[in-house]
Amino acid sequence: MAAVDFTKIFTRYDLQKETGEKGLLAGKDEVLQRVIECVVEGDDENIVAAVGAALNVHDPMEVIREGLVKGMAEVSRLWDEGIYFLPQALISSDVMLEGIDICENKLGGLMEKKGIVVTHTAEGDIHDLGQKIVNALLRANGYEVVDLGKDVPVDNVIEAIKKYRPAMVTGTALMTTTMTAFKKIANRLKRDNIQVPFVCGGGAVSLEYVNSYDLGIWGKDAQQAPLMAADAVTGMNWEEIREKYNG
Amino acid sequence: MGKYTKMAYSSAEEMIFGTAKNPVKYGRDFEVGGGQVYPELVPHPRPGSEETKKSLMREYERMVTDSLERAIALGFPGIQIELEHVWQMTKNPDWGGDIAGQTKKIQEDFFRKYGLKSAIRATIADNRKPDLENIRDCRSLELALKTFETSAIAGADNLSMESVGGKEISDHTIVRQDIRGVLFGIGVLGSRDMEFMWKQIVDIATKHGATPGGDTNCAQANVAMFMAGGMLDKSVPHTFAAITRPIGAARTLTAYEMGAKGPTKDCAYEDPIIKAITGVPISTEGKTSACAHADLQGNLIAAVCDLWSNEAVEYHDMFGGTTPAVFTEILGYDVALMNTAIEMGKAKDLQAMFINSDKYRDVHSYVVAPDAAYEIGKAIVDNNSSYYARAKAGAIKAAYLILEDSRMLLSNFEKEALLKTLKDLESFPDKEENFVDQCISIYKKSIPGFKPQNYGL
Repeated sequence: MAAVDFTKIFTRYDLQKETGEKGLLAGKDEVLQRVIECVVEGDDENIVAAVGAALNVHDPMEVIREGLVKGMAEVSRLWDEGIYFLPQALISSDVMLEGIDICENKLGGLMEKKGIVVTHTAEGDIHDLGQKIVNALLRANGYEVVDLGKDVPVDNVIEAIKKYRPAMVTGTALMTTTMTAFKKIANRLKRDNIQVPFVCGGGAVSLEYVNSYDLGIWGKDAQQAPLMAADAVTGMNWEEIREKYNG
Repeated sequence: MGKYTKMAYSSAEEMIFGTAKNPVKYGRDFEVGGGQVYPELVPHPRPGSEETKKSLMREYERMVTDSLERAIALGFPGIQIELEHVWQMTKNPDWGGDIAGQTKKIQEDFFRKYGLKSAIRATIADNRKPDLENIRDCRSLELALKTFETSAIAGADNLSMESVGGKEISDHTIVRQDIRGVLFGIGVLGSRDMEFMWKQIVDIATKHGATPGGDTNCAQANVAMFMAGGMLDKSVPHTFAAITRPIGAARTLTAYEMGAKGPTKDCAYEDPIIKAITGVPISTEGKTSACAHADLQGNLIAAVCDLWSNEAVEYHDMFGGTTPAVFTEILGYDVALMNTAIEMGKAKDLQAMFINSDKYRDVHSYVVAPDAAYEIGKAIVDNNSSYYARAKAGAIKAAYLILEDSRMLLSNFEKEALLKTLKDLESFPDKEENFVDQCISIYKKSIPGFKPQNYGL
């Protein structure tokens, strides 16, 4: 058979988009710089020692703010620019949270969070990977996540929302026949006059469906969750958030 | 039967669409792998229709009838319908059974009136939650087994599943690019769970005269493939995702070692490897499953298929009719072209076109191309001392095939990811028990809810 010129068959756009260098933020001093490096590099073997060393000379909140959070901000930048992929972001998030645990132990309490988000995967749906990614990204961005898990009955979601009074609620589903639980949740919340932004996404969940009920905001991907949460805690209501992301 | 120790085919060259070493006959004069390719149509109900048994049955009645009517209208010789269970059909075993029975009745009617050959695959939903319950003794398992039974009794010809054993580990580790966890979650735990599940599925099928079809690594290697996504996505490296596929193949193989006969599940992109090893007929999906998802092997994956599927299409109206009718038409003409090539003695030419269309489009396409699939299959059967050993051997073979083919172009990032994955794979212990001990120690700490007992460990 004649030699095939594959360039006439497909275009490898991925080979045209090789990305640039990653850089490291400069920390306030050597020990905080080491904490930043551990987060940026996703170095779970050395984070405990690095945070320990930083806590010898800085108070816990400073280690969190100037080391762990700063490192994670750099990871977000690298991901946004296409230098990092999701795995690097998640590993860095794990490392940062491990560091925060150590700092909180020293602090003798939990650091103040930006707000509470209740997350769940729809009743009948066991596909919760999307929710787990949302959880990790929200936590990495300073939110307290109340993780209800997968296959969560409508009643349990309502109960948790009434109990925790979150700034935002998320629901993920893979199948169209399980996403119908979202509408039931939204209707129940509306009946009880609870005006919480309810971000729904995943698999076959469509903008058209989610925008068909009040409170619903369609989430295109997990990366949007911390951005939407930031809008929710700064006082935007569900209609404004929907307009911003789905309008 | 024991583990496979040799290949069903003497070379990749011998493999072709429409013919399998071990064809399967069932349904209404329906033979898969006997020299002809058939369409497999998978209709999916609209949201809301699952509210009651009555409304869901009516939805399926319409979808199946629309499909068969289009098959007759356009002169297609035969078709398989897959009833891929939505949660409610397995949660309520009578729903799954009654929909299978209704479908059989419709198919019999078309067979009697027009001679349309047909069959039914019932794919039972695996709703077990490995991180939350004892998956060897839970209500979800009980309902799934009951629904296999009701479906077989009602007339399902082929019993299949998309089992989820090891998913708690693979979900966590795929998105962290941790090949150790993938090898453990899919290669070891997934295989052990398949052994547990498929013994029971085969027993039920045998008892009721149905054919145990097959399984798929949809819950794991497909997660990696879809997370990797298109050429510019930044979720999971494509090379890493491609290496999960041979591991998935080693795991899916367990179903056939436990007695499954095929045709395999359509969404098992590892199926070319499975066909090379076992000789069972396979169902695949490519460009025709764009209604459900995008993939980078739209033509290539048809190269050795015996059924050609659309994955799942939700029931809606289109200009050309309802979606089941439209997709029956698309599938039917695709297989008509393949069958024409067979009749004209041009099957290998058409196969070469399928392959060249996509083999170097992406590494995931590359590893399921027949030549690579055959080599990977051989690595699996040549190293069949344990589930771990064969999955690892398949993965290492795939990595070397990619690296050694200069036409398979890789970005620097993708190449680095592949080299790291290969280095990790080659550093793991030789013995399965040592690897398992290592993994239990690591993942019991990092993955809440992981219970080795779920896998008899």
